[in-house]
Amino acid sequence: MKFRSQRVAYLFFATSLALFVLQIIFGFIMGFAHMGYDVLHEIIPFNAARTSHINLLVLWLLSGFMGAAYYIVPEEADRKLYSEKLAVLQWAALVIVGVIALIGFQFGWWEGRKFLEIPRPLDYLVVIDVLLFIFNIGMTALRSERFTTTGSVLLLGLTAAALLYLPGMITFESQVIDSYFRWWVVHLWVEGVWELIMGGIMAYLLIKLTGIDREVIEKWLYIIVGFTFLSGILGTGHHYYYIGAPEYWLIVGGVFSALEPLAFLGMALYAVTMARRGGMRHPNRIALFWTVGCGVMSFVGAGFLGFAHTLPQVNLWTHGTLITAMHGHMAFWGAYVMLVLGMISYAMPQMTGRKLFDGWVPEWAFWTSNVGMIGMTGAFAVAGIAQVYMERKIGMDFLAVQEAIEVHFAGLILAACLLTLGVLMFVWNFIQYGVPSDEAIRDS
Amino acid sequence: MLSKSQARLFFIGGTIFFSTIFILLTVDTVANIDPRQHTENLTKSVIHGKQIWEAENCMGCHTILGEGAYYAPELTKVVDRRGKEWISVFLRDPEAMFPGQRRMVKYDFSDQDIEDVIAFLAWIGEIDTNGFPPEPDLMPATTITSVAATSASEPPAYFNNVCVACHAFQGNGGNVGPALDSVGQRYTRNELDLWLADPPSVKPGTAMPNLNLSDATRTELVEWLLTLK
Repeated sequence: MKFRSQRVAYLFFATSLALFVLQIIFGFIMGFAHMGYDVLHEIIPFNAARTSHINLLVLWLLSGFMGAAYYIVPEEADRKLYSEKLAVLQWAALVIVGVIALIGFQFGWWEGRKFLEIPRPLDYLVVIDVLLFIFNIGMTALRSERFTTTGSVLLLGLTAAALLYLPGMITFESQVIDSYFRWWVVHLWVEGVWELIMGGIMAYLLIKLTGIDREVIEKWLYIIVGFTFLSGILGTGHHYYYIGAPEYWLIVGGVFSALEPLAFLGMALYAVTMARRGGMRHPNRIALFWTVGCGVMSFVGAGFLGFAHTLPQVNLWTHGTLITAMHGHMAFWGAYVMLVLGMISYAMPQMTGRKLFDGWVPEWAFWTSNVGMIGMTGAFAVAGIAQVYMERKIGMDFLAVQEAIEVHFAGLILAACLLTLGVLMFVWNFIQYGVPSDEAIRDS
Repeated sequence: MLSKSQARLFFIGGTIFFSTIFILLTVDTVANIDPRQHTENLTKSVIHGKQIWEAENCMGCHTILGEGAYYAPELTKVVDRRGKEWISVFLRDPEAMFPGQRRMVKYDFSDQDIEDVIAFLAWIGEIDTNGFPPEPDLMPATTITSVAATSASEPPAYFNNVCVACHAFQGNGGNVGPALDSVGQRYTRNELDLWLADPPSVKPGTAMPNLNLSDATRTELVEWLLTLK
């Protein structure tokens, strides 16, 4: 690490991993409920578990992005962070809002709108918190002599993500319009501006880990994020097929969301090619594993599995079934979880000065968790396809179908155990690194 | 090959171009939504129903318009499927209708709340959804030919709305409880009346809930059931 103030990223990374583990616990509660063992129904009913599971994911990924930004932006701007104290304050506020929201969910304090369940008063705190964050990294960039493309793309992604949170805070009387603008937040985040953040972080990691010329990497970064917006903005239409919006969304959404995998294919080819061409053999091999893995798995999960059910003639049957859960799990894992874990793997040795990336623990963490997630996706796929045929095509009763597919949730839970083992090894490795040390500061 | 500045132009130009189209389509969608969603039927009751829907996080288990969680049934067409009367009985005590099955949280809804939730669901059912949810198209092509179609009079409305969810009559209906085609042969007026008044007190542990029928409805049902020989 180059500047002392970059160490603030550690707080965000530690928070991310703690919330990730918590997210997995809620996932198990739901897996068992689907299997027929809804034993916690009286304390944590399914809707509370689900809301916690999803919002924890969003929160810990945002925390990971913030940590990554606090680490990357000073380096790309070549000056220390504008204010480290403000960053710590912003971190504390984020944690407090997160904890209140999580406890609130258990008592039914929520806004039952998929993905945006955080109650309105807390929404305002989230906005203030994110503004503090943007202000801090924005000032860091402004006060510097130079600011790189990688840094700009990252900053643009984060600012756009903050702005796009706002349409989700408007109250609508009609469910149709409500849903329409809810996707402005959700879709334009994960299939739009978050990909900008992903591209920025990935470009940074590839520059550091492969030693390839910045100009080459950043040129391709523009092309890939260009494809993201070319397909992803109008690709929002694949959420508008069946919510009451006009019929032309079937065509617009179908065509453009079918192009969305191109951006992810670009991301995968980009990571793989740069890693292969890179002359520099960076000792932190495991960080490169996660980075390249992120490119590849995001193509499989978000690109390929998304394409599998995005065309209207397929989606008519699969919309609102476990097929969506199949795609969702691997898409988030590939695109965003692996990215944050890659960033943590790269930054930890830099911040602490300890080189704990060579042992078997980080490597096994990578393989075990990935095999686990592939298994989980397979279980969701089998359950989802069976559900579509039995419930949608043949017209069997919902509960009879759910009983018939309970066995696939046993498979899901087994695979989830593998994933959990991998994640715990990653966390163990993270703990072994200890906290950032001043001895690690050097000009890189 | 593209230079870096051309690549940047591609990114910025593409983003501005497609954002503009997206905003124009959004304006068009909002401007033309009224006939598709029947805005004129968006009554106070429907809006209150939506508020309850959100306050209880129904989407945390159910889907509506295909959106939500995949733990509980799709509810876009639930009013068509079940009828208002059945939903209103169900919402008072969800588990009573599906004993031993996947559980739903029991909410303490007032009569007004239940009416509003149903109004909301009915409004949702009227939306032009471009054909979602689709009719099953692999359904075995069986035509139910009724053997005794003429032997009984038309069932009371309550029977068609609620009872058929679990009981079959002339080959149509649920299979949770027994088919009722010849129930009049097996029970007397008195037995049926006692049973419908409070099934669990007659047979503890039965899957059939106490439906809190009014005296008039109960008598109507009993008289009709007695004709099924």
